[in-house]
Amino acid sequence: MELVGLTKRLCGLSGPSGFEQPVRAWIAEYLEPFADEIGTDPLGNMIAVKRCGKPGAKLVLLDAHMDEIGFIVTGAEKGFLSFGMLGGVDQRMLPAREVRVLTEPPLFGVIDTMPPHVLSEEEKSRAIDPNKLFIDVGLCQEEAEKAVPAGTPVVYAASCEELGHGKLCGKALDDRACAAIIIKAFEMLSGRDLNVDLCCLVSTQEEVGHRGAKVAAWGLEPDIALVVDVTHGKTPDAQNVPCSCGKGAAIGIGPNINSALSKELFALAEARGIAHQPKAEPGGNSGTNAEAIQISREGVATALISLPLKYMHTPVEMVSLEDMTAIVELLTAYVEGLEV
Amino acid sequence: MFLDTMETLCCLGGVSGGEDEVRDYILERAMPFADEIKTDPMGNLMIFKKGAVTPAVRVMLCAHMDEVGLIVTDITSDGYLRFDQAGGIDRRVLIGKQVYVGQDRVPGVVGSKAVHLTTAEQRKTLPAMSEMYIDIGAESREEACASVSVGDLVAFDDRVVRFGDGFIKAKAIDDRAGCATMVELLESELPCDCWFAFTVQEEVGARGATIAARSVEPDVALILETTTAADIPGTEGADRVCQLGKGVVIPFMDRGTIYNRELFRLLGRLADENGIAWQTKTRIAGGTDGSSVQRSGAGVRVAALSVPVRNIHSPACVARIDECEAQYNLARLFLEEMAK
Repeated sequence: MELVGLTKRLCGLSGPSGFEQPVRAWIAEYLEPFADEIGTDPLGNMIAVKRCGKPGAKLVLLDAHMDEIGFIVTGAEKGFLSFGMLGGVDQRMLPAREVRVLTEPPLFGVIDTMPPHVLSEEEKSRAIDPNKLFIDVGLCQEEAEKAVPAGTPVVYAASCEELGHGKLCGKALDDRACAAIIIKAFEMLSGRDLNVDLCCLVSTQEEVGHRGAKVAAWGLEPDIALVVDVTHGKTPDAQNVPCSCGKGAAIGIGPNINSALSKELFALAEARGIAHQPKAEPGGNSGTNAEAIQISREGVATALISLPLKYMHTPVEMVSLEDMTAIVELLTAYVEGLEV
Repeated sequence: MFLDTMETLCCLGGVSGGEDEVRDYILERAMPFADEIKTDPMGNLMIFKKGAVTPAVRVMLCAHMDEVGLIVTDITSDGYLRFDQAGGIDRRVLIGKQVYVGQDRVPGVVGSKAVHLTTAEQRKTLPAMSEMYIDIGAESREEACASVSVGDLVAFDDRVVRFGDGFIKAKAIDDRAGCATMVELLESELPCDCWFAFTVQEEVGARGATIAARSVEPDVALILETTTAADIPGTEGADRVCQLGKGVVIPFMDRGTIYNRELFRLLGRLADENGIAWQTKTRIAGGTDGSSVQRSGAGVRVAALSVPVRNIHSPACVARIDECEAQYNLARLFLEEMAK
């Protein structure tokens, strides 16, 4: 599958944190022909491995997370569903928002909003407290209780589509765009003569604290990890972020990243003419799975490559296809160049 | 059939001042059934159809073709579109929504800086509409200007979804529901002669109806509309204005019109006699083309029938299908009464 098609397909799947099963199943089936081993673990991570067959080969891990932010139903009131959050939801996105309630089969719903005429001027300019918002599934109380038990997960009822000027736009591009990147890279590398064993880890529960990657890294014991996640891209109201969509792979530099590895990636991008930009990560925690993986067991040489993305954690996240392609190139070039 | 007509109408673009698509569709549907067709410089469409009898009074049905939307006011050097509202829009429903710009339907989204980059205060407040922007993926003014222009009208996402127990979600149910009722009536055998006024620019001040009524010169007019429903948990009593499931709304008064008392009573009686559920509004809110029609020429006796709609003036209006059909049924009974 081409990168665009793969990304659109992945974003269309429903898999909020803790409920990623459909995403894992789809990816496992897709990667099966390219892998020597396909597996999972108690947290539901998707693990595909390609062995190079050379003695003493190092294990290189590619990581991106499969979970998306979402909601979870907490009850029903007059037929309307109350809900809590799965991950960092932007409450300003919620009024008049369409959602997919993940029952079997899924139900369509709308987060209803109070019309302005019953609100004060003060209330109209404030975001609505999510505790005062409800999902309307068009059912009465009795039907709603029966159809949608508490604990049912919910995601934005959005898809991912191509926008003009080489952009992709939709829900769950954080981090399925990066999942598509590492899946594509794994697929391409699976047919090449490598000197390392390669693992594609599409991890769970990143949005609630890097939980999936933490246990997967422990279980897999990689020598090198390349974490691919999104980073904020500049917008008119966020000019002070360093990265921009369309300017290439954002290569991380900072305490959370192995400095030698980071330098190698910069040198490689320069040598191959792969579009890239630097992304300083000042803290020990880059806010990505790199945090968990770097300190797994006795430590892993970890790099972070970020895909600039606008409107993170909304149903209209936006990325540049050129940036995605650049990261695929960088990953494949790096892994292919590794010695025994 | 009614539902198909309404769904088709909701999908068409017709932001105030740009109702052409809607008018063209209605004209095509009505042409074989019309005895006389008039338009005017603003774009109203007025159709006369003979019925079984010619009543002593001239009867006009009226629904507006336009919908609320946005208009592009500026294109920034980095390719974003600034906008203002065309019709009254609660800006809380705009952030993170998908839109279509101009006649070529260029897709874009209303962007907003990611929640991670906001301060605690910003997270709870909403940017002014003048600070919001549409992102079509362009990276410069030149790129953007290749597909959009200042003055382009912007419509909401147009996917229609039937859901729950007989509910429908769409943009522009206000007032394509009324347009659908009129189109279906036009295609049926009528009890009496009737003028059908499909008006423009209701959402920016009932402007089209002002001149349409002068042109038709009705004695009696029935406005077929939609009205705001705030029947969600947390809103109690009169603040709900009207409730889905309680029937079609027969208003006695809104912010623009005190409806003709005899016609108000007549509609209530017709509904009761025919087992059609109805309600009236519990708040004096909203307005219709009735305000313009009533004070046209030497005055017109005016009544209205409105479908209750949640999240009105948003991309995700929610209505009950049976209440849309009830509007049609009651309008038909009204014409039968006019024939007597």
